[in-house]
Amino acid sequence: MDPIGERIQAVRQAASAQTMLDATRALAASDHGDGVNGEAIACLVEVLGFNNPGAAVAAVDGLIRLGPMAVEPILESLDPSNYGARAWAVRALAGIGDVRGLEVLEEALGSDIGQSVRRAAARGLGQLRLDALGDSRRQAVQGRCLQALVAACADGEWVVRYAVAVGLEGIGLADVNSDHLRPASRLALLGLSQADAEAVPVVRLRAALALRRLDGQPGG
Amino acid sequence: MAGTIDPDAGISAAGEPITEAEALQRLRQSEDQSQQYYAAWWLGRHRSRHPEALPLLLAALGQRRPRDPGAGVEENAIARNAARALGKLGDAGAIPELLAALDDDDDGLREAAARSLGELQAPEAVAVLLRRLASGPAGAGATRSDSPRLQEPCEAMLEALGAIGIAEPGVITLIEPFTAHGRPLIRSAACRALLQLSGEARWADPLVQLLDHPQLQVRRAALMDLGAVGWRPALEPICQTLAENSLKLIALRGLVEQGAHHDATIEVGAVLGAMDSLL
Repeated sequence: MDPIGERIQAVRQAASAQTMLDATRALAASDHGDGVNGEAIACLVEVLGFNNPGAAVAAVDGLIRLGPMAVEPILESLDPSNYGARAWAVRALAGIGDVRGLEVLEEALGSDIGQSVRRAAARGLGQLRLDALGDSRRQAVQGRCLQALVAACADGEWVVRYAVAVGLEGIGLADVNSDHLRPASRLALLGLSQADAEAVPVVRLRAALALRRLDGQPGG
Repeated sequence: MAGTIDPDAGISAAGEPITEAEALQRLRQSEDQSQQYYAAWWLGRHRSRHPEALPLLLAALGQRRPRDPGAGVEENAIARNAARALGKLGDAGAIPELLAALDDDDDGLREAAARSLGELQAPEAVAVLLRRLASGPAGAGATRSDSPRLQEPCEAMLEALGAIGIAEPGVITLIEPFTAHGRPLIRSAACRALLQLSGEARWADPLVQLLDHPQLQVRRAALMDLGAVGWRPALEPICQTLAENSLKLIALRGLVEQGAHHDATIEVGAVLGAMDSLL
């Protein structure tokens, strides 16, 4: 059996949380050479649903390394009844930054019941990789991301609003040419940075940091 | 803290969204106790500032009677939720009745009252907490004969002493022996309190070591405890421990918001950067 096949088998046969973690780390770090093993992607996606946080972190890292080719298997695996797995899947989609994940991320941020899912989605919407798209398509996608993030400034969970600040920073920084989106990002961040609108100090600090970075200030 | 941590509890436990007026009405009625139970939780969760919230919750706290397992939602369950909510309202008017609840026969109610008095940073509670814990790990910290629980809710009481923040020698001396308790959660709570009260790094080391404990529940407690103290030197071990990112983020929020006075060599920016990568 080839090394990757052995590593897949090690994950599937893991009898303890620790061996699962070690096996997943090994599989996630595999060098796929010329061709990626579809079974390896499927196996990493399975690990997201095993309620083993350490192994899930390793699997997400591995899926992000695999990049766009992992997107379809992740999208097909989404299970509305398993919040843990869904959170890790959204996190993987967020890290990969493929535009095919846009609708999942939008929907997750707007209406998922799990705050861990919403926060991963907010981060992801700020870091989609859109360089390959044409200008008009890219601006349309960025506009949708911005709209979803602005709406989520009113989320009831501080950690989601924190992630929204990170996402708005990403959108603002990516908007290098048109300057269409930066003013709206700044306005939303301004709200998150002020004590009369935002009660949680760490959210205000993160929003203020994002504003400094958008303004290109030192220390940002 | 451990065992009660569910990052999504606020949503999954919430059921149908209700308004503050509805919550007050549900607490005011007495026909349906499950509605009172939910309403007490709701008012705390939303840190209600309505003038009726405090008197209604105090009345609910006063609605106590011996446990009756056959009665569905027991009245003490409402009293416990009321005690928890009173800590979150931040109104010192709740302190006298919470103090009285520290001497209740129901250890679950004593636990809720201790946590809330800690949240309210009520110096009046120190004397009662010291009295309840005076018999030390072998007394207050001994396992009960009828359940796996301890004689006193030591974890909550130790954490309350740390949160209240009165660093008198008598308080320190009383807490120290609990750092050698047989249960890691009690050791964690004792170290947390001593670190808060003294700022001495030697109490942080055992907490950082507990981040490597084989039980997830213990690692979670150590995360929450380091976060509550805001111990910034633990930044890297917190990031590395095997636990949910949700809990690491809560702990790191503590490092940002509580940690400025402990160690200036780790800047807020470094903690924010670590938080970004956990989202």
